[in-house]
Amino acid sequence: MDSPIKILQDKNSYLDLRKQERVTLLEVLDRALEKGVVISGDIVISVADVDLVYLGLKVLLSSVETMERLRGAPLSGAAEEPT
Amino acid sequence: MRLYTYAIIDSNSGMDEPIRGLGEASVYNIPYHDIGIVVSDLDPQVQIKTKESILKHEEVVERLMDRFTVLPMRLYTVFSGKEEMLLKVKDYYEDFIENLDRVRNKAEFGIKVIWTGNIIKERISNAYKNESPAHLTQSGTKFMKEKFEKYKIDKEFEEEADRCSAIVDGFFNRLASEKKLEKLKTDNLLLSASYLVDKEKKDDFKKAFEELRSSGGDLKYLLSGPWPPYNFIILSHSGDGKVGGMDISDKAFQHKDMEGNEGRGE
Repeated sequence: MDSPIKILQDKNSYLDLRKQERVTLLEVLDRALEKGVVISGDIVISVADVDLVYLGLKVLLSSVETMERLRGAPLSGAAEEPT
Repeated sequence: MRLYTYAIIDSNSGMDEPIRGLGEASVYNIPYHDIGIVVSDLDPQVQIKTKESILKHEEVVERLMDRFTVLPMRLYTVFSGKEEMLLKVKDYYEDFIENLDRVRNKAEFGIKVIWTGNIIKERISNAYKNESPAHLTQSGTKFMKEKFEKYKIDKEFEEEADRCSAIVDGFFNRLASEKKLEKLKTDNLLLSASYLVDKEKKDDFKKAFEELRSSGGDLKYLLSGPWPPYNFIILSHSGDGKVGGMDISDKAFQHKDMEGNEGRGE
């Protein structure tokens, strides 16, 4: 099995394990919440989960931008680091 | 016992090595003709909408991907029993066979491209403002002028996004058998792309990413993969009308979300 951490970034980026896991989680959510085989079962996805996908994208963006700041190449207009 | 489903695989045999799924339950394969549905029993006490469960789902699917061709199930697909599940699988069997053939020996890669969209938009906007007459006295004329300017700004912004997206796609297109491109999900997310790539071309794809990354410019890139082919499953069978889209209904059950808050339980 490939490593669960499967994000490639700029060579000089500093990305700690926690951030890598978060980005990986968001990439999983980006796919597995809406995509894949969709046949009806007992459980359905609530509207709250849809919001989670879009929230995730924002967090993903800010994570990448945070990495850029850590590299010493700040990206203008970057979002704040999520708490 | 309810069944949590992970993937459809191109094998009707049992697992050749033990895999643990949600709640550490054993993962096993339920055969249907020449394919199988990989599941684990779901204890009612197990919280499935947690970070750990999401990653466990993915881990199980990826372990299966090492040995089989897989069609990953959407998260949280649960059946009340084997019979109910097999009735659904029967409905979609032909689709599953076609999809398994399409994605055999392939994996999905994701590319995200980030640009300073807000700044680009501001630059375009300023250029138009400088062109505008200084005084417009009639409110109707001013309103129409502003509307038209906004239209032109958005159009130019999208054209710029199209140009940049095409350049990025040019690096990967030749290596993929299928692709899905989503442009401007947000102003700063220029491109979110998924490519279905033959496993033999995996290294070429990564090399293309390195080439793109070293090509300079202000864009920021993120490559992820190989993933199970979540984005490339096409179900044509209409079934009960719930195929291929998100199913939002009042049946959402009580759960805790990733922050531990109570979810929609109505």
